[in-house]
Amino acid sequence: MTGTTAAMKQAQRPAADAAPVGRRRRRRRHLGSHVFLMLLLAALLAPVVWALLSAFKPANDIVRSPLTFDPSAVTFDNYAAMFQDVPLGQSFVNTTVVLVFKGAITMFFAPLAAYAFAKYRFVGQNLIFGAVLVTLMMPTIVLIVPLLLQMKSLGWVDTYQALILPGSVDAFAIFWMRQVIAAVPDELLDAARVDGSGEFGTFLRVVVPVIRPGLAGLAVLTIMNIYNDFVWPVVVASSERMATLQVMLSTLAQNITGNRIGADYATVTAELLAASSVALVPLLVLFIVLQRHFINGILAGSVKG
Amino acid sequence: MTTVSAAHHSVARRRRTRTTGLRRRSAPYLFVLPFVAVFLVFSVYPLIFTARLSFTNWRGTGAAQWVGWDNYTYLLTSSAFWGSLGNSGVLWLLIVPIQLVVAIVVAVLLSSATLKLRGLYRVGFIVPFVTPLVAVAQIWVVLFDQEYGAVNALLGLAGLPDVGWLTTSAWAKPTLALLFLWKTTGFVVIIVLSGLQSIDADLYEAAELDGASKSRQLLSITVPLLRRTVMFAVVLQTLAVFQMFAEPFVLTQGGPYNSTTTAGYHLYNHITRADLGTGAANSFLLVFLVMGLSLFFVRLLRAKD
Repeated sequence: MTGTTAAMKQAQRPAADAAPVGRRRRRRRHLGSHVFLMLLLAALLAPVVWALLSAFKPANDIVRSPLTFDPSAVTFDNYAAMFQDVPLGQSFVNTTVVLVFKGAITMFFAPLAAYAFAKYRFVGQNLIFGAVLVTLMMPTIVLIVPLLLQMKSLGWVDTYQALILPGSVDAFAIFWMRQVIAAVPDELLDAARVDGSGEFGTFLRVVVPVIRPGLAGLAVLTIMNIYNDFVWPVVVASSERMATLQVMLSTLAQNITGNRIGADYATVTAELLAASSVALVPLLVLFIVLQRHFINGILAGSVKG
Repeated sequence: MTTVSAAHHSVARRRRTRTTGLRRRSAPYLFVLPFVAVFLVFSVYPLIFTARLSFTNWRGTGAAQWVGWDNYTYLLTSSAFWGSLGNSGVLWLLIVPIQLVVAIVVAVLLSSATLKLRGLYRVGFIVPFVTPLVAVAQIWVVLFDQEYGAVNALLGLAGLPDVGWLTTSAWAKPTLALLFLWKTTGFVVIIVLSGLQSIDADLYEAAELDGASKSRQLLSITVPLLRRTVMFAVVLQTLAVFQMFAEPFVLTQGGPYNSTTTAGYHLYNHITRADLGTGAANSFLLVFLVMGLSLFFVRLLRAKD
């Protein structure tokens, strides 16, 4: 809202100062901004673009001339070799299964809990929310050893449950959604209650539609976190059958440091870039499709003023 | 007749308000229950386990022996522990201040309504944030390779000598910091943008009328009013830097000469040596440190409120 009014005010301003000098100066100032922002953008996109393009180069060229790209020499050999060497398909299936179940659990239970924290008063509220904040400050690895022992005693090592359940109702998601839900006016909730709406009904029919931008942001963030998760999966499910995409990728990298000699280095590097590209693309596509929701979601969830 | 029915009616209504009251009071407990269940089993229980572990010398098998505060005193007098904190501290200095300045400048430029291509920049800057870390860290390994990497090839074109980005202890930290900056700065830009949106546009208008320059406006209006947003970003990034683990794990395995052994990575070293008691104690020291730092920043940036 404030953004729009600010935009309108600023849009009106050039008309107010009619002096052409002022306008020219403004344009020149923007030129400086564009140069700076473009350079920064180029630097940020360069590594990704370089990797995506290099994966189509003959393996020896990647190593010998890393800065050139010859469109006539484009090859799919690296992809073919990589798919032959690495069971990437299975790891894609694993990542998808974890994504669907863990994502669904987070997307349902985190906003629900956040709603309780934001709009109700109950016994133990501060204690539990304090615990949420402490969890946020805890490095993931702190809990790895006891969690792994727990999984061992349950017989869950190398299973989907182990990948899905721990951390499924994420503390960060609750913290984030509480900010979003706190901004929902109480009058809206009271009006729904007067109309005879039940507590859960109010959440579903009044709160959820209002916080849709925040939920969309949370969805993208959750997909990203699960898709990119690495430390826990590599510890609890590192077998070839259960490895997620990121775990599979990391085993490839260990080959690269093991093969430091000439030709081997080139082929491993080429396969690595091909595999990295395959891992990058789904998330990039998802992000580009959903970018508006994602950015608005972060805007909705962060602390303002 | 009328009195009876009226009495009947009011009893019914009282009963209904009593049950909705009960429902309303029990609702938050039901809403947080799934979260609390997951939290108790997969966070609180392992945490208590870790707490007990930190007072023993357990090595993963056999009986644990109670050693009191030995693990803590060992760590507090160990140069490796302080070294890892020092490494994280240096990384913090290389990352957080630079990131904040860049993010504020970029966000201020992007919030100008007359700037064209704003949407493109916003999306472009956040692309690194959505890329999978493992894939990107591996691209980093290839790009910054001393012999075959594109970065050194680029330096060669400019007539500069090769740099051992990942193989010398002087350069490994900046290279690691660069990966972190590359990956997360776009996220901080969006957080700062959300803070900017909530600043009243009238303030700028008034300042403009008083003849304040753009840079003057930035220092006297934007920066002070961004205090809370900046605090949020600093706390979030401080947590991330001190917990950093996956980045050095893929990029440098903590080397060369422990120069990238971050606080989080040092913790992992205890675990790989099956020195679980010391690892647990290290976890708690790290959590206390991170909590202390967070509180410090919150106090520091709230001072003038």
